[in-house]
Amino acid sequence: MKIDDREQMTENRHKNIYFLLSNFFFLFSFFCLLPSAFGKVYIDITSPAVQKLPISISTKDSSPAAKEIESIVMKDLEFTGMFSFVAPEVPGAEITAQMEVTVSNEITVLWSITDLIENKEVFRNRKAAPPKSIRAIAHSISNDIYKFVTEKEGAFRTKISYLIYASQGNKELHLMDWDGGNSIKLVPNGLTSSHAWLNNSLSLTYSSQRSREWKIYIFDLEAFRETVLFSSNGLNLVGNASPQDEVTFSSSRDGNSEIYAIGKDGGNIRKLTHSFGIDVSPKFSPDGSTIAFVSDRGGTPQIYVMDSNGRVPRRITFEGSNNTSPSWSPDGKWIAYTGMKDGKNQVFMIKFDGSSLRQLTVDGNNESPSFSPDGLFLAFDSDRDGKHGIYIMRINGEEQRRITPKDIKAMSPRWSPYLK
Amino acid sequence: MKKVLIVLFMIFVAGCAKKYVAPPQEPAVQKETVKKETVVQPEQKAEQKEVVKEIVEPKEVKLTDSAVTAKTEETATLKDVLFDYDKYNIRDDARPVLDKAASFLKKNGTMSVVVEGHCDERGTNEYNLALGERRAKAVKDYLTSLGIMPARMSVVTYGEEKPLCTEQDEPCWQKNRRAHFVVSGK
Repeated sequence: MKIDDREQMTENRHKNIYFLLSNFFFLFSFFCLLPSAFGKVYIDITSPAVQKLPISISTKDSSPAAKEIESIVMKDLEFTGMFSFVAPEVPGAEITAQMEVTVSNEITVLWSITDLIENKEVFRNRKAAPPKSIRAIAHSISNDIYKFVTEKEGAFRTKISYLIYASQGNKELHLMDWDGGNSIKLVPNGLTSSHAWLNNSLSLTYSSQRSREWKIYIFDLEAFRETVLFSSNGLNLVGNASPQDEVTFSSSRDGNSEIYAIGKDGGNIRKLTHSFGIDVSPKFSPDGSTIAFVSDRGGTPQIYVMDSNGRVPRRITFEGSNNTSPSWSPDGKWIAYTGMKDGKNQVFMIKFDGSSLRQLTVDGNNESPSFSPDGLFLAFDSDRDGKHGIYIMRINGEEQRRITPKDIKAMSPRWSPYLK
Repeated sequence: MKKVLIVLFMIFVAGCAKKYVAPPQEPAVQKETVKKETVVQPEQKAEQKEVVKEIVEPKEVKLTDSAVTAKTEETATLKDVLFDYDKYNIRDDARPVLDKAASFLKKNGTMSVVVEGHCDERGTNEYNLALGERRAKAVKDYLTSLGIMPARMSVVTYGEEKPLCTEQDEPCWQKNRRAHFVVSGK
């Protein structure tokens, strides 16, 4: 970590100086003497008003592969809203990222970051991979640049699982990069519904109906193999996984839909709710201490939270009469959910104690929010352009963009944790 | 004794479901639902007749005459039961439909059915799956209370996944909020 050996106060002072200077780059760049870039945080994403960092990106090669990598990197960084792009030949950038792409049997990329104020190379990395991994390389470069300037891991190398409507009663489970690229089909059969990532293995858990039976499955992405986690009579819908990969789900095996938790090996089933109404969509908080869920025990579907042993249930949504599909922010402070307003579904965010409600979407129906692991973005589905598609946005509602093609009916995105 | 208790419990459950109609928090939604319900009735009846007619067409379904008659009788008797928005109580207009279904099932004592629960598209998928299941179960419970053995009826939910129509308006949504019978054995 670059800031570990620094006092917090000194660091903040330097940061302020850099921001001031960056605005007057022309005037000062030739004679100002700045301390070493070591320990410098170019963008403080914890600050409420993030200033954009002027960056230039250049590639020393004009091959299609090089162009593609450059374009993916720029799109990645641009979506964070934390960078402003300056053409390489024009002065004004604070840092520049340079890429050298060599294409043979493999694609080899050498990338470096130069602090233009100090006129000094501050970062260098290299990767070689088969051509089919070109997007993965590009996302790694974005991640390096982002991590260098913010000191935080970015969402660029994460994945999103989602459903594609194939035909009536058949929804397939798919997987794609965070920007919609590299989509692959995982589970073609049945009516797949809720799904979630495990935290300690590269696996997804999901509910699928086949031959009128709802079972909960686990898909191991490394072995590319499916196993059954839980099956019983009635409706079994998976929620998500705790930090230890205990899995929450709702089941009507005893007649009424109640919340349960089960070990990832299929043992230790715990029944957590005992109410007459519908209890569904249970979601462990990121630290595993709390479970958010949907219940109609008060007459309409609303979001509730309870302790992870099922105790102290309390309702947190009171606006509107149809609030469902809760999703925790990675810091455990917020819950995003789908709420009906004026007859349309919209994405909302609320603090887990029920305060600070905000509406994030307006056009069309917007459903199934899911936080990125860095907590900066939300994936959701929307029918604003006709067919349901997957969209991502910043958590303040800005930069809403579709990431699945318009000819595919896609829904229910679930953002992965950080992947190794 | 045990069976009597089960039947009593089912009646109790059906009764409870009815009480669920009036949530204290959202009176506005209640009114809206009731209003929509009355508007939709004629539309629904027309739709059901259409469905029956289609299936009766002999050239479409190549069955023997007796099979056609039997099929027609099933379809005409085991009609869809409709529900209010976000509700799973058996509506008053559904009771005569279910009473007929019960007599039919008593007459055909070996017949078994699947009750499918369906929803309109407005809720979110997971909640709608749970809601669809409650609708199917409410129908099963009601028929159980009329003396049909629970073992002859299985339930399955499709939530909003198998709509009858896809317009985004109340007449269409009402058609989709249904419990549907499928004969699974005779």
